[in-house]
Formats: sequence, C-alpha cells, structure tokens
Amino acid sequence: MWRRLTNWYREWDEEYLAVLAQPELAAQAPAGFRRCFAEKMAQMPLVQRQQLLAFSLKYRGARLYWTLAALALVFSVCGVILHFCSESIGWLHAIVLANAIGFPLAAAVVSAWFDYRRIIHDSRKHLLIILGCLLAQTLVVAGVMWASGTPFEALGGRLVSVLKGAAVGMLVVGVPVMIISVMRKRQSEAMNVRLQREAEQAKMARELAESQLRLLRAQIEPHFLFNTLGAVQQLAQQGAPRAAELTGNLIDFLRSSMRDMRSEQVSLAAEFGLVESYLKVMQVRLGERLRFGLQLPRALEQVQLPTMILLTLVENAIKHGIEPALRGGEVTVSAQALEGALRIRVQDGGVGMSTLPEPDGGGGTGLENVRHRLRLVYGDAASLRLHDGDPGLIADVIIPHAQA
Amino acid sequence: MQPTVLIAEDEPLMRERLLELLAQCWPEARVVLVAENGNDAWDGFLEHEPDVAFLDIRMPGLSGLEVAERIGSMAQVVFVTAYDQYAVDAFDAGAVDYLLKPVQVERLERALARLKAKLAQPPSDGAAMGELLRYLKTALPGMRQERSKWIKASVGRQVRVIDVDEVLFFQSDTRYTRIVLRDYEALVRTPLKDLLGTLDPERFWQIHRATVVNVNAILAAERIDAERMQVLVKGSAEKLAVSRTFVHLFRE
Repeated sequence: MWRRLTNWYREWDEEYLAVLAQPELAAQAPAGFRRCFAEKMAQMPLVQRQQLLAFSLKYRGARLYWTLAALALVFSVCGVILHFCSESIGWLHAIVLANAIGFPLAAAVVSAWFDYRRIIHDSRKHLLIILGCLLAQTLVVAGVMWASGTPFEALGGRLVSVLKGAAVGMLVVGVPVMIISVMRKRQSEAMNVRLQREAEQAKMARELAESQLRLLRAQIEPHFLFNTLGAVQQLAQQGAPRAAELTGNLIDFLRSSMRDMRSEQVSLAAEFGLVESYLKVMQVRLGERLRFGLQLPRALEQVQLPTMILLTLVENAIKHGIEPALRGGEVTVSAQALEGALRIRVQDGGVGMSTLPEPDGGGGTGLENVRHRLRLVYGDAASLRLHDGDPGLIADVIIPHAQA
Repeated sequence: MQPTVLIAEDEPLMRERLLELLAQCWPEARVVLVAENGNDAWDGFLEHEPDVAFLDIRMPGLSGLEVAERIGSMAQVVFVTAYDQYAVDAFDAGAVDYLLKPVQVERLERALARLKAKLAQPPSDGAAMGELLRYLKTALPGMRQERSKWIKASVGRQVRVIDVDEVLFFQSDTRYTRIVLRDYEALVRTPLKDLLGTLDPERFWQIHRATVVNVNAILAAERIDAERMQVLVKGSAEKLAVSRTFVHLFRE
C-alpha cells in the first residue's frame, strides 16, 4: 500500500516537472485529476512556469519533508502562543487550529506566488467559492448541532460565532493571497516592460549594424570595385592623366564610406561630397552615358541626416536607371527645405519605373534598406517616395527639419 | 582562315582594354564588331556571324546571357564578368569560358588557348550551353528586361497603342521598325534590335536579322531551295524570308 502510494507520488511528481519543462507533454498525462492539473500547469505563462519549475526542483524529496516539518513546528509554536494569549482555547486545540490555518495559508501563498494571474483574473470566481464554502460550512455545523439536539434558540448564537471564526480564517488566508498576487503582478509587469525595452534596444542595435554591414557590402561589391580598378588599370596603361584623377576620386569615395560606416549621422555637405566622388568614378567608367548635377543650397549644408541613405539612392539610380539604359541619362541630386521638412531628391533619366528590377536575392533592394533606416531613425515622420520621372525615376526622401 | 571576333561591353575603358589585350595576345584574330550593348551585339552577330563572341554579362538591352542564348552553338562564347567565383563556378562545367573583370593577360591567354582548341573542333550541339544558361539565369537575378505588352506607334497623324499579341510581324526599316497588323501597319522610331529584348522569344520568333514574326500568325513555312525558306503569314499577303541562321526553327 505504502509502496504504491510512493510510486504514484514519484510518477506524478516527475510528470508534473516534465510538463513544467515542456508544456506540450500535458496532453499525455492520464485523464482525470492529473490531466486537469497538468493542463493548468501548461497554461501558465513561460516566466512563471520556469520560476515554478526552479522552485519545485529546489524543494524536492528530503528537502520538502524538512521544510514541511519546519513549517509544522512554526505553526505549532504559533498555536502555543495563541493558547497563552487566550486562555479559553486549550493548548491542543490551539496547535491543531494554528496548523489547520497555517498549512492552507502556506499552500495558498505558494500558489498565489506562482499563479497570481489566475487569482487576479478570476477574483470574482474565487470570492464566490469562498462565500459558498462559508455557507456550506454554516449549514453543516447547523445540521450537526440540530441533530445532536441543541435547542433552536441556542443555535443562532453558536452559528454566529462559527461564522465569525470561519470569516477570520478566510481573511487570514485570503488577504495575504490577494496582497501577494497584486504585488507579483506589478513585479512581473515591470519585468515585462524591461524585457521588452531591452529586446527592442537589442533589435535596433542589430538592425543598425546590419544596415551598416549592407553599406560595406555594397562598396566592396565586385562589380563596383573590380570594374573601377579595371578602369584605373586601363587608364594607367595608356598613361592618361585621368588615371590619377580616377584613383583620387576612388580614394575619396572609399574614405567617405569608411567615415559613414563609423557614424550614424552625417552632414548633407559630407554626404553630397561622397555622392560626388561616386558619380565622378562612375562617369569615367560609363563615359558619355552618364551626366550628373548636384544642387545643395548653402543653408542646408550642415543639416544632419542618417548615413547611407543618399548614396543608396544614387547607386540605385545608376544601377537600375542609367546602366540598363541604352543611351544612358542624367542623374540630378538636390536638397530643398520645405515647411518643417527637408526634401532630398534623386532623379535619373534612365529606364524608369516600368522596368524596376525584382528585389535581389540577398536582403532586398537598396530602397528597402533606406525605408528601414528612415523608420529606425525617424519613425513615421520620414518617408521615401518614388515617382515616374518620364523619362526615368524620381526618388524623394522627406525627413523632418526645423528651419533655423 | 582568320578567326572573327565580336566584343560586347558597355564600359568604354573595359572595351579598350579587351581590344588592346586581344590585339596583343591573339594578333591573327580580326575583331569585326565592338558593341556597346546587348541589342547591338545580337544585331551585329547576325550581320557578321563571327566565330567568337566576348560578352559582358551585365549590359543595357539584351544581357550577355540573353545574347548567348540566341547565339546558341553558332559561335564560341566567352563571358566577361565582374561576378566572383561563386557565381561563375558553373562556367567550369560548361562548354564556354569566362573571364573575370578586370581582364588580366595570363588569364586571357589561357582562355584563348582553350578557345583555339575549340575552334579546331567541329561545333558541339549546345546542350551543355543551354543547361549553363538556365543555371546562370537563376543565379544572377535582375538580368532580364521587362516584356512590354503595348507598343506606342504612329499611324498617319495618330498615335496608336498596339497590343503586341495582335502584331503579325515586325520588320526592320533602317532606323525604324514597321509593325504589321491584320488591318493596318504602323511605324515606330525604335530600331528592331532594340524592340527585340522586350518581346517574349517563345511567342515572337526572329526569322531574319530584319524580321520577327508572331508564332500564332505563322500559316506555313515553305522551302524555296536547299538553303532558303519563306514564311507565309495569316492575314497578310507578304512572304517573309527566313535567313540561313534561323532555318533550324522550321526543321521537323
């Protein structure tokens, strides 16, 4: 008998720990009480479930028995104190009473600590259960007393005192449970907020790093670097003075790119400089097929904007507008202050909207990167829009800008 | 016999470099055409029928891959590309060679040695080439021009928007293209070689350097003599000549 009981307990204990670790195992528990219990455990939120698992693993086996014994001792001491405080209660009665209140209280505190959500969520249900218990208790006591022949007049007074005792007991258990539940809920909400903020910060940092990595990758793209070096080689072999000029522009471009990669914001003047060196390099390579113009008003030179955005748009204009166009075209880059905003426009006279290519296999087009970066920095306050330039394409970036 | 060569490359300095290197490493070859884009390359190929084509992969108009696809086994193709090793590993398995940009002398010499060996052999059936091109098209995205559904053309003083499906055939008229439909014909200012890339090659067959015909409009192809054929078109009295290059389209 004893062996069966301990076996059953060990089995149930292992099942319960397994469900805490892997909630999907709940469905495998034997039907009835154990299934119901396992499903309750499985429904707990992850964090509480893991806390409960850690708690259960800590208070297992011998440790559990020692703890229970220690609690029994503490409650018994409380009972003895109660006996000395109120002589009317016999010391045996007091000890039994203290343990009878103490153990449910301990159990309630533990369940409130780990499953406070359900207690708060179903507080009305719990209140009804408590009232129901009180009523049932009263009826039982009344029935027992009536059966044992207590006179009807004496019944009322005894019942009131029974009710009082029960109410005190409920309060002793209920109030700490509610207090603990509310406290734990607050604590967990604060933790959730903190975790969420940390996750968001980590995500932002990662996305920023990724977008800068993409910038780096764009610069060391074999097409750009090798074709440019090929052009340098050819010019150098011909002994053309343009070789030195092209190399100079390439150096400017690479140096500005490195600077962009290290910082998050850059002045419009610096970014226009980067774009100019890029376009000069491309002009040597593409010859007559590329013409370009840059318009940056003096007043806007020191306006800050996120790195990479302007260059990506210009690269896109070259890659998808000018290079595929049989006769090439002109790229115009301009900045203009609007009311409360700044508009940066990249216009190309290339092949235009109808032949926008499919997104590249790796990580989407540059435009997606730009949109993403704008959202990271400005939220909904900035935008990137494409219009048909007829011929070619116009890309407009609008960012917030307070006029000085 | 002096081998003939076509070069297609959109960047001027790269063109010059390849020309100079070829003159240095393969002086007996004769460069018959230097094209700046894919459309000119294919048009020039039909005109000159060279033995070897050096094609840049990324070019305006038809891409190098599309030109190679049209050339098939009619010539030896060498791709010139800035794509790195991972993308071009496939070349090693195929019948063609590739050169990484910027082209270096030693590598070009090796490619030329292989090329000369190939030129001495009878031409292959081009099956390996087809396989390779299919692979490259999936490996190198964004290379295909968009197909147009509509063509704007002037008819007298009107501008008409023509559904390409209704076109019977296109015919090159120097710098213009004549578009023939069932009820009328129109002229567009775009040369045929530039229209070609925007037409679906499955539905519009090029049968001559100057003629592209809608497959659905073909009534019959008839033999004139051992080498020449002509195409009869539904809804048109004109007979369209099929050049020797394209006779294979009508072999049973």
